[in-house]
Amino acid sequence: MSDTKNQNLSAAQEHALLRATLENMAQGVAMYDASHRLVTWNERFRIYLEMPDEFLGTDRTFSDYIRYLGERGEFGDADIETELKKRLAVLETSHSFERVRPDGMVLEVRRDPVPGGGFIAIYTDITERKQAELAIRKAKEDAESASKVKSAFLANMSHELRTPLNAIIGYSELLAEDAGDRGDSASLADLEKIGAAGRHLLGLINEILDLSKIEAGKMELYIEKVALAAAVDEVRSLVSPLIEKNGNTLVIECPADIGALRTDLTKLKQCLINLLSNAAKFTKSGAVTLRLSRYVDDEDAPHVVFEVRDSGIGMTEEQIGRLFQAFTQADSSTTRNFGGTGLGLTITRHFVTMLGGTITVTSTSGLGSTFTVDLPDRAGVAPHEDHVIDVDDGMRAASAVTVLIVDDDDAVHDVLSATLGREGYLLLHARDGAEALAVMRRTPPDVVTLDVRMPKVDGWSVLGVMKSDPELQNIPVVMLTIVDDRNLGFSLGASEFMTKPIDRNRLTALLRKLTSSTKNATVLIVDDEPDVRGVIKGTVESAGMKAAEAGNGRAALQWLEGNAPPALILLDLMMPEMDGFEFLEKIRKVERWSDIPTVVLTAKDLSERERSFLAERTLLVLSKTGQPIGSLGAALSALARRGQAVKPQAKE
Amino acid sequence: MPVKILLVEDNEMNRDMLSRRLLRNGFEVVMAVDGGQAVAMAASESPAIILMDMSLPVIDGWEATRQVKANPATSSIPVIALTAHAMAEDEAKARAAGCDDFDTKPVDIQRLVGKINALLGKA
Repeated sequence: MSDTKNQNLSAAQEHALLRATLENMAQGVAMYDASHRLVTWNERFRIYLEMPDEFLGTDRTFSDYIRYLGERGEFGDADIETELKKRLAVLETSHSFERVRPDGMVLEVRRDPVPGGGFIAIYTDITERKQAELAIRKAKEDAESASKVKSAFLANMSHELRTPLNAIIGYSELLAEDAGDRGDSASLADLEKIGAAGRHLLGLINEILDLSKIEAGKMELYIEKVALAAAVDEVRSLVSPLIEKNGNTLVIECPADIGALRTDLTKLKQCLINLLSNAAKFTKSGAVTLRLSRYVDDEDAPHVVFEVRDSGIGMTEEQIGRLFQAFTQADSSTTRNFGGTGLGLTITRHFVTMLGGTITVTSTSGLGSTFTVDLPDRAGVAPHEDHVIDVDDGMRAASAVTVLIVDDDDAVHDVLSATLGREGYLLLHARDGAEALAVMRRTPPDVVTLDVRMPKVDGWSVLGVMKSDPELQNIPVVMLTIVDDRNLGFSLGASEFMTKPIDRNRLTALLRKLTSSTKNATVLIVDDEPDVRGVIKGTVESAGMKAAEAGNGRAALQWLEGNAPPALILLDLMMPEMDGFEFLEKIRKVERWSDIPTVVLTAKDLSERERSFLAERTLLVLSKTGQPIGSLGAALSALARRGQAVKPQAKE
Repeated sequence: MPVKILLVEDNEMNRDMLSRRLLRNGFEVVMAVDGGQAVAMAASESPAIILMDMSLPVIDGWEATRQVKANPATSSIPVIALTAHAMAEDEAKARAAGCDDFDTKPVDIQRLVGKINALLGKA
């Protein structure tokens, strides 16, 4: 710091200036030299830690201070030497944590090594910020629990209402058929009215249930490759009766080469049905057109546009403005004249948003309306409910857990420090993959959060190195990734992921990578197709390893019972008797099998649920953008505990 | 000879209603009231098609379908899942369990008959 010494200042003046600077800082500052002796501090440091004057600066070391604080009861019931060891272990790495002093003051403690040895400690009083955060969190939790209770009530009530309604609708239809057979047209008309009213009520209940699920964030997406022509065909057959009811004709303009779109089939269908039946409702003896087209946006992402056009009564500007609000239709008299629940468009808009798309409407009163839904391919996949670990569970006993945060983005360090520091985690920071590995080797953390996208060495590579290093392979890793990378989560999840037909070169490379430390290792091949097993067996054997075979999950379990754990399992998912999912679930429950690297082989397009299943049984994937950040701490604690359960002799 | 349908449904009213309507449409109907009975009757009755409610006692419709599809003697029998409400997860779950088609209750009898005929190659 003296390299740029101002030549006009004497050493004494400069010292005075630095002293003034230190004393005017809003933080407590303490500097220790290479032998951990306290050399400089400011008044705020003394006040924050309530250090007696006579105790300061008399050749005492960092360890003396920590022991002093411990004896004074600053660390509660924690063992003083353990607390000291924990602090000494991380002194060579920039780290931060929060601790609550006995008087309730919350201190954020940051320590950074300085060049030439020694370190600087900075203490910030964050009591007010903490109290504000706590108040906000409490308010949020209250609101969330109220909303949860409401959703659960609605879901249960909807189910209870539907059961008797099913009987009403069904028996009214039976009686109507009887009346029709008898030629009793008076009864027939009345019975059909009962049936129609019942179906209307059922539609309302279903839509309310949908809406409550959407509002509670419980609506799940199942993204799959949707063949558009087939989907449109199905929609056509479903809406035809409605279209024809008002004497309308349905025109479908769908290019023969429209192809496929990765989206949620059921929700897409529901949106189209809503829009088409809406159009039919407000059009008499006219035309309803569904038109599909494709385009590629500025970022080369393919989109499909669905246009629903009618020649009906149209809407005014003002009516359009109210269109997507729940329970409002263009006009309050609309419900009387045209029926409907008023929820269809609201739900449609929610679905389109969930699918990453947009919905717009243009209309001319008296001439008709056009609704345009624009959906991108590979719509962003929302995080899975299953991944959210009970927060309260993890909040407790978080102390003494060391978390290494690996991310090139400072904002992520800030957010995670704020979130995790609060729970008493000791945080280590690394900005790139190489630094992360260096820190891990020096100070093995209990859990690592790893960013996927980093310059030079990315998160997957770090994970790869960790899993091949006996010192590091048992450290649980939480991958932090933006939403679109979720799909990658499971690829390293089951150690690796491959698709059929099998690329032999990749398989060989994979085998080397996963079994490099074990010569003459055994690989268990689990697949129901003998041909596939044969191909894999040849590859395994030519790589110098032994191959064992099983035709399904049950056979594989039997093999595991009678043999030493193999170096690797190659696992097909779709098999008779016991499929790959069930097999994974079974072996992950048995301690001696739970660590066997497993490579999933599949030709199957995995559903979202299946992906999460695989990801869960391997490593946890959290989404940086979609995951409520509050659950992260819980996830980390759960992982750390799991690690400790597997290894009773946990470090420290 | 009429086409034999195995109707699996635990709710008595639904069973009565749907069986009468299927009979009226010219089908022969045999009934099971839980998933375990469904799996047994799939083998003993050799129905042409199974209509399977999903929330069933003993073993649920998803598991019953898996067992029917895992048994070489019954795996070729088409299964149509019937659930209360067209939720995406229900349909996906039913298909994952091996169901060949999916419909919601209360059933639209004409649509259901259409699906049955389509699966039996009589569309």
